[in-house]
Amino acid sequence: MAALTHDLQGADREGQVARFQHLRRREQWRYVLLLLPAVVFLIAFYGYPVAAMLTRAFYDPVPGLQNFEPLVTARSTVEFLGLSIPMNAYIRVFWITLQIAAVVTIVSLLLGYPVAYALSSVSASRANLLMIFVLIPFWTSILVRSYAWMVLLGKEGIINEALLAAGLRTEPLVLLNTRLAVYLGMIHIMLPFMILPLYAVMRGIDRNLLRAAGNLGAPPSAVFRRIFLPLSLPGVAAGCLLVFILSLGFYITPALLGGQKDVMVSMLIQQQISLLKWGFGAALALVLLILALGIYALFTRVLGVERVFGSART
Amino acid sequence: MIQRGLTRRELVRRYGAAAAGVALLGPRALSSVASAQEATPVALPEIPAIPAALKGSGNVVVASWGGAVLDAQLKAYIEPFQEMTGITVTVADGPDPSKVKAMVDTGNVEWDVVQLGRGDVLALDGYWEEMDYSLFDTANLDAALMRPDSFAMVLFAEILAYRTDAFPNAPEGWKDFWDVEAFPGSRTMPAAAQLPFLEGAVIADGVPMDEVYPIDIDRAFASFDRIKPHVVKWWEAGAQPAQMLTDNEVPLAVAFNGRITPVKEAGAPVDIQWNEGLLAEDDWAIVKGAPNRENALKFCAFCTLPAPQARFSMLIPYGFVNSKAAELIPADQLARLPTAPELRPKLFLRDEQWWAENRESVIERWNEWILE
Amino acid sequence: MTVAAQVRTPEKIGGLGARVLFDRIEKRYGPVIAVDEVSLDIAPGEFVTLLGPSGSGKTTSLMMLAGFEIPTAGEIYVDDDPIAAVPPYRRNIGMVFQNYALFPHMTVGENIAFPLQMRKIGRSEIARQTRDVLELVGLPGYEGRYPKQLSGGQQQRIAVARALVFNPRVLLMDEPLGALDKQLREHLQLEIKALHDKLGVTIIYVTHDQEEALVMSDRIAVMNNGRIEQCGGPTDLYDEPETRFVATFIGESNFIDGVLARADGAIGYVEAPGLGSLRAPLKPGIAAGSPVALTVRPEKIIAHDNGASSHLNTVDGTVADVVFVGEMRRYVVALPGGQRLVLKAQNRSGVQSFNRGDAIRVGWSVDDCRLV
Repeated sequence: MAALTHDLQGADREGQVARFQHLRRREQWRYVLLLLPAVVFLIAFYGYPVAAMLTRAFYDPVPGLQNFEPLVTARSTVEFLGLSIPMNAYIRVFWITLQIAAVVTIVSLLLGYPVAYALSSVSASRANLLMIFVLIPFWTSILVRSYAWMVLLGKEGIINEALLAAGLRTEPLVLLNTRLAVYLGMIHIMLPFMILPLYAVMRGIDRNLLRAAGNLGAPPSAVFRRIFLPLSLPGVAAGCLLVFILSLGFYITPALLGGQKDVMVSMLIQQQISLLKWGFGAALALVLLILALGIYALFTRVLGVERVFGSART
Repeated sequence: MIQRGLTRRELVRRYGAAAAGVALLGPRALSSVASAQEATPVALPEIPAIPAALKGSGNVVVASWGGAVLDAQLKAYIEPFQEMTGITVTVADGPDPSKVKAMVDTGNVEWDVVQLGRGDVLALDGYWEEMDYSLFDTANLDAALMRPDSFAMVLFAEILAYRTDAFPNAPEGWKDFWDVEAFPGSRTMPAAAQLPFLEGAVIADGVPMDEVYPIDIDRAFASFDRIKPHVVKWWEAGAQPAQMLTDNEVPLAVAFNGRITPVKEAGAPVDIQWNEGLLAEDDWAIVKGAPNRENALKFCAFCTLPAPQARFSMLIPYGFVNSKAAELIPADQLARLPTAPELRPKLFLRDEQWWAENRESVIERWNEWILE
Repeated sequence: MTVAAQVRTPEKIGGLGARVLFDRIEKRYGPVIAVDEVSLDIAPGEFVTLLGPSGSGKTTSLMMLAGFEIPTAGEIYVDDDPIAAVPPYRRNIGMVFQNYALFPHMTVGENIAFPLQMRKIGRSEIARQTRDVLELVGLPGYEGRYPKQLSGGQQQRIAVARALVFNPRVLLMDEPLGALDKQLREHLQLEIKALHDKLGVTIIYVTHDQEEALVMSDRIAVMNNGRIEQCGGPTDLYDEPETRFVATFIGESNFIDGVLARADGAIGYVEAPGLGSLRAPLKPGIAAGSPVALTVRPEKIIAHDNGASSHLNTVDGTVADVVFVGEMRRYVVALPGGQRLVLKAQNRSGVQSFNRGDAIRVGWSVDDCRLV
């Protein structure tokens, strides 16, 4: 364009420039139009109702911040690193929720990474076939999968029957209604959400980079550590973010598989909604949302948005 | 969720009928106390001619909990009602109290009659049309159940359920349930999503059944402290205790009678101890501003007639509210109903008014207590 | 900035190149033969190009030398050591990849340091060698940049630097200039050639661009269908193609199809329909009476009008097409019998020009044509 406008003088040149700008603006408008239906849909059917629900925290039943009071009212104190921290059930539940989400995320990563790696290193057609096995759990409702875990973990479940039959135990292990069962059930549900972004990023890694590293003298372990691992980090970040944030909102699995102290925030929210304490339910939901956004912000701040959602391609 | 179709049938096969109805983990109502018992062909009593005042035209929208309860309601109430009155019934699904609240708050009332626990009706004070009993045949109704804003449609019991193979002697009541030496093993009890079972706690601590209300909350929680280490699960859905008994996860449970009868009849070594059982009700209530109020009243009045009441209790093991219904039900079926003449005296009625006043503070305290 | 012109040249980083020997190498993928009994002896310090269309087996051959593919039969020797079973990271062979394969998450400095780190070389030594090799490729001071901040040509030079920094005795280049525009490509061809002259490393270069092969190579191995069709110096291949494929793939060629009528000493007589008898140097292995093609390069054909010709092979025809290309004219001549010839005539005074439709007599020396 520079060469084109080089010889144009005065008004001619300005006219030309203006026309190009006009064209560019029209181009931009076209993208806006393409996005419009989805944006309108989201605002009308998601944004508005969610906002309407969450704002209840500030006026239901009466205007003010009283819905947040139970969250900051200390019912007891907990000694932690020599400090006594004010505590109540709601803070405990938020803490338990974060703990569960963190463990689920870390274990899902440890289990999902090798699977995604294997999927990304076979041919695309075979990977598509194997991907079906990753996705099969998606076809079954969360409830049914939770029940499947009950069949496995129960006092007379398959695992205990096997242990007793093999003579490895004389008393059945307590597996069901424990934190362990919650982890198992949630990790089972979350694994595909970890594997898919990992796989997408790993597929995008140029295999020639790995060959080049080998050619330059790197044994397979060094190729993985120095090349593959760093290039797969955007997938790790995206997978962890997805799993962590989805885990924060879990409800059915902990309710069915957990013990008495495995209470997650969404169970509390449900409780408040059914008690018709919508304002307090909204306050809990709002805090959970802020927590999720905060963690998202932290992730993108530390890793950079581009690394979380960007690709590994050069 | 898994209300219908293949998944439900598979679950039924695997866990017995109780598991299939677990879908709704949530508000207290019959949804979670109903069994998914497969309908066995029973000869239902005929409904005699009805008063002309109940006949009419047009439509009425009834919000019910679906599943097995709705199946029974269709045969007991809804189909004969349509036939005999000329009024069309539209069935809506899932009468969540929060939905009623939303409808009335936004002036967008779509439902006429909803089926809700009495506690939910009380919690939504001011959201209901006044019940006009002039259309009702009140001769055989319990006046205590005729509230100004709702009418009890069904009575169900929260009872002690146990495995018959676990103990030499059957537990006799809540004292035995709390006695972990005489009756060793794990327990399961309702969590806060249902109401915490304070009544059982104070009875176990020595309060007679008919002096439970007003409940001494401190005493109840002190009693809970003693049983807490032995409760492996505070259940959220009515299906859970029945399943845990069937799977031998626990030998003792607090459960809804309608969940236990089907697994017992399916052959599980499980039985009900009716002693000191808590009788609770689900009500018909007419939503404030209901578009078909008149037809809604006719529907409620029809349902309380002896024959429809008997039909319902024969289709699903929940109690009738019209005492004349007992005459229409065969003896063997009567024996499994909490309102059977010989069982009713063993039970006490939940004081919904007390709960309406104390529910919030009890659950708040419960939330703290459960995490201690 | 060419290396040759560099005044402050770093010390010569390569020693003498290694000898590379492909000994009857074969690579099959199931029933597909990608490389078919390829044997090739490459002298130390030689610049050999594998030239061929895609799918001809040239890249597969290179990958087997680098160790990314394992031959199904045969052996590869570097100097006298068999290496077919040695893993790539122990081969010490440099390689420049088609799209450079620079590590996107590392700076230029880290990219170049990588092979040195793998060889456990000390930090200060790495810094020194990195600086030297960057100077060698004409990009001093670029250590801190990331690959995506560089132009295509700069990336290419970094890739060369990275492949050379650990002093490999063999350097493989897989279409290293394929992604660059023509001008830059021609410039870098000379630079690589100069580097080769300076370092003495053995270079095996893969390209499908025949011009690139002619400009750079000591020898060219023309590959087709997994086999080496002909291997020789650029002049040999151009002037004395042994197969029709080589004659077509390298430069432009005319083919006149006919039958070898008889042989007379070193001269063969080809009978072509409508053209009479044409003479060409006889090639062993072609029996009299068998079909044969006579091939001649367009620039070796001389055009006259219908005057006398001093050339030994002369045919008459009609100008079917003329294209003026600046430095020359390109004529398409239709011959009796239906065959066509392309010839190029220089655009200078004294060379007669023709128009479409003109009668034309063309001729070429017997020594300038070949039988294939």
